[in-house]
Amino acid sequence: MIQLKTLLTCIDNSGASVVECVNVLKKKRPATIGDRIVVVVQKQRAAGSEGSSATALASKVRRGDIRHAVVVRVKKELQRDDGTVVRFGDNACVLVNKAGDPIGSRMNGIVGQELRGKKWSKILSLAPVHV
Amino acid sequence: MPPRLPGKLLQLSLSLRDIQLTVPRVPVRTFGIRSLNPPKPSRFNNNPGLPVLESTSTAALRRKANSLPLRTGAIGIKKGMTAIFDAETGKRIPCTVLQLDRVEVVSHKTREQHGYFAVQVGAGWKHPSNMPNSLLGHFSANGISPKRHVFEFRVKDESGLLPVGQSIHANWFQEGQYVDTRSNTKGKGFAGVMKRHGFHGQDRSHGVSLTHRSMGSAGPSQGGGSRVYPGKKMAGNMGNTQNTVQNLKILKVDTDAGLVVVSGAISGPKGCVVRIQDAIKKPWPEIASAEPVAAAAA
Amino acid sequence: MAALPTMRQLGCLRSLIKTQEAIQPQLARRFISTAYSQRPQRVPLPQNLPEQFLSQLPTRMLPENAPKPIKVYTPPPSARKACKDPIGKVTELQLETLDPKGERKALFDYRRNPRSIKPGDIIRVTFKNGDPFNGVVLSIKLRGIDTSFLLRNELTRVAVEMSVKVFNPNVQSVEIVQRAQRKIRRARLYYMRSRKHDRRSVENVVNAYVRQKRAFMGGGKR
Repeated sequence: MIQLKTLLTCIDNSGASVVECVNVLKKKRPATIGDRIVVVVQKQRAAGSEGSSATALASKVRRGDIRHAVVVRVKKELQRDDGTVVRFGDNACVLVNKAGDPIGSRMNGIVGQELRGKKWSKILSLAPVHV
Repeated sequence: MPPRLPGKLLQLSLSLRDIQLTVPRVPVRTFGIRSLNPPKPSRFNNNPGLPVLESTSTAALRRKANSLPLRTGAIGIKKGMTAIFDAETGKRIPCTVLQLDRVEVVSHKTREQHGYFAVQVGAGWKHPSNMPNSLLGHFSANGISPKRHVFEFRVKDESGLLPVGQSIHANWFQEGQYVDTRSNTKGKGFAGVMKRHGFHGQDRSHGVSLTHRSMGSAGPSQGGGSRVYPGKKMAGNMGNTQNTVQNLKILKVDTDAGLVVVSGAISGPKGCVVRIQDAIKKPWPEIASAEPVAAAAA
Repeated sequence: MAALPTMRQLGCLRSLIKTQEAIQPQLARRFISTAYSQRPQRVPLPQNLPEQFLSQLPTRMLPENAPKPIKVYTPPPSARKACKDPIGKVTELQLETLDPKGERKALFDYRRNPRSIKPGDIIRVTFKNGDPFNGVVLSIKLRGIDTSFLLRNELTRVAVEMSVKVFNPNVQSVEIVQRAQRKIRRARLYYMRSRKHDRRSVENVVNAYVRQKRAFMGGGKR
C-alpha cells in the first residue's frame, strides 16, 4: 500500500536511504511489489564514514532528487497464486532510471518474488535473498 | 428511417410511370367533371418489395438466434464457497459449490403455442398439501412430482427441448466448460444513497446539520424544468435483485451427490436458488458427448 | 323521591336488570318481512340414477365430469439427502489426491494430535521449486482445505511473515526443527510481533539443524 507521502527505505547503494513516494505509475491503486513509483530522496546515506570510494558512489543521487523507483518489499500482505500470503516488516524500494535499469550496483536486503512476474529480473538477480 | 427510403423511391418512380404510361394507353370514358390531378398513390408503405418488419416475433427470434443457448440449463442451490488446488500448477482457485436436487423437465414452451422455445425445469420437492391445485395439476399432467422451484430456460430451437420428465443430473455440465449463473443478490433492505448508489454524501461540518448522508438536490431548478427526472437515483430497497455472473468455469462435477463446483463467486446467500446455463459468450460445449450420458442417467 | 339507604345499595342492580330487559326483547323481536327461514338444503343427487335420466342433468353434474382426485407422483431419490455436507464432500474429494494418507492433516491438527506442530515451534518448509522458508509458527488455522499456518522469521534484518496453506501442492515438505522451549499458553502468538517479544532470526537454529541432519544422513550413507 504505497501511495502519496509514503516513506520507504531505499536498499541499493545509490546513496539514498529514505525516499518518499510522490506518485504511483500506471495504476490508480496503491503500489505494491513490482510497481514503479516516483520518489523524492529525503535522506542521503551517511557517506563520510565509509571513505572516498563510497562518496563517489553516494553522489549518484542527492537529497531532494526526484527519481523513479521499484517497490521491492511491502508491509501489506500479498497473496500468491497458490494461496501463500507474504508480508514484510517494512516498505522498501530500489531506485531505477527512466529506462528501468537500477541506479545502484548492489542491493542489501530481501526482496519479494513478485518482481519476476513483473519483468524486474535484473533487480531480482542483484538481491541477496528473495522470498 | 432507413427502411422507408427504398419504398419512397419506388413510389416516386411509380407515380411518374402513371402519368406517362397509363393515361394515354387506357382510354377511360369519363363523365361529368374530371379532376385535373391524377389520383395520388397511397402515402403509406404498402407496396411489394418493402423490407421485412423488424418488430415481429419472428424477427425477434432471428435476432436472438446467436445468443440463445442450444440446450437447457439446470437449477442449483448455492451451498457455500471453498477452494480447489490445481495439482499441476499449484494454483488455488476459489469456487462455489452448487447442488442439483431432483432437477427434472416439467414442460415445454414452443414457438407455435407460446411464441418462443423454452424448457420449463423444476427442482426440489414440495409437499402436495402445500401446493395449489392448479400447480399440482400441472405437475401431475406431465407425470412429475411437485417441485419447489420452477424456472424456464430459453433454448434456440426445438432440438433443445429435452423430453418432459427427463432428469438433469450434474453431469449435464462438463468439467472445463463455461456457464452463466443467475441468482438474486443478498437483500440489503432500505438503503440510503451513499450505500445504494455510492454518492459522496455531504460535509461533516461547514454548516451542514443533520444531513451528512443524504443526497442533496434531486434535480435542477427552473432551467431544468423544475421537476425530478425519471430514473433519479434515490434511497430505496437495495439488493434482492437478479444478477447474472457470466463465464464461470466448471471445475468439478459429482453426479451422485449432485454437486457442480463453479469457479469464482455467485450472487446471493447460501441456500439461494441459482440458475445455471451454458455461457453465451463462449463456444457451446460439445453436446454430442453430454447427451448420451444424460440419457443413460435418465 | 328520597330512597332509603338500603334501596340505594340495591340501586346498582337496577342497571343490570335494565340492560337485560333492553337486549332480550330485541332478540325475540321479529317483523313479518324478515321472518327467519332456514336455507334450503341442497338435495343430493340420488345415487345409482338410471341412465335414461342422466340426459336431464346439466353437464357439470354428470358423473363423468365429477372432479377427479389429482394424481401425485413420487419424487425421484434426493441428491440433497445423499450428500448433506457438499462443502465437506468437495474437501474430501480433494484431500484424496492432495493428502492420501492424512499425514499432513495430522501434522497440523494441534487440537487432537499431541505430536502435531504447535504454535511456538520452529519449522522448515520446502517448496516444490526448491526454496525453503523457516520460521516460528505464530498460529495454525484449521479450516478444512484452507488450513494454514503462519511463520515468522527475520531475513537480512527484515521481518518476514508467510502464511502457507497446508494442502498446497507446491509445499514439498514440512520439518519440525525445534519444539517450543516452554509451554505456550496461547493458540495465537501475535504478541511475538512486538519488539519486546520478537524471536528475531531463527536462521541459526535452522542452519544447525540442517548441518546436523546432513552429517547424520551422510554418515548413514557411508
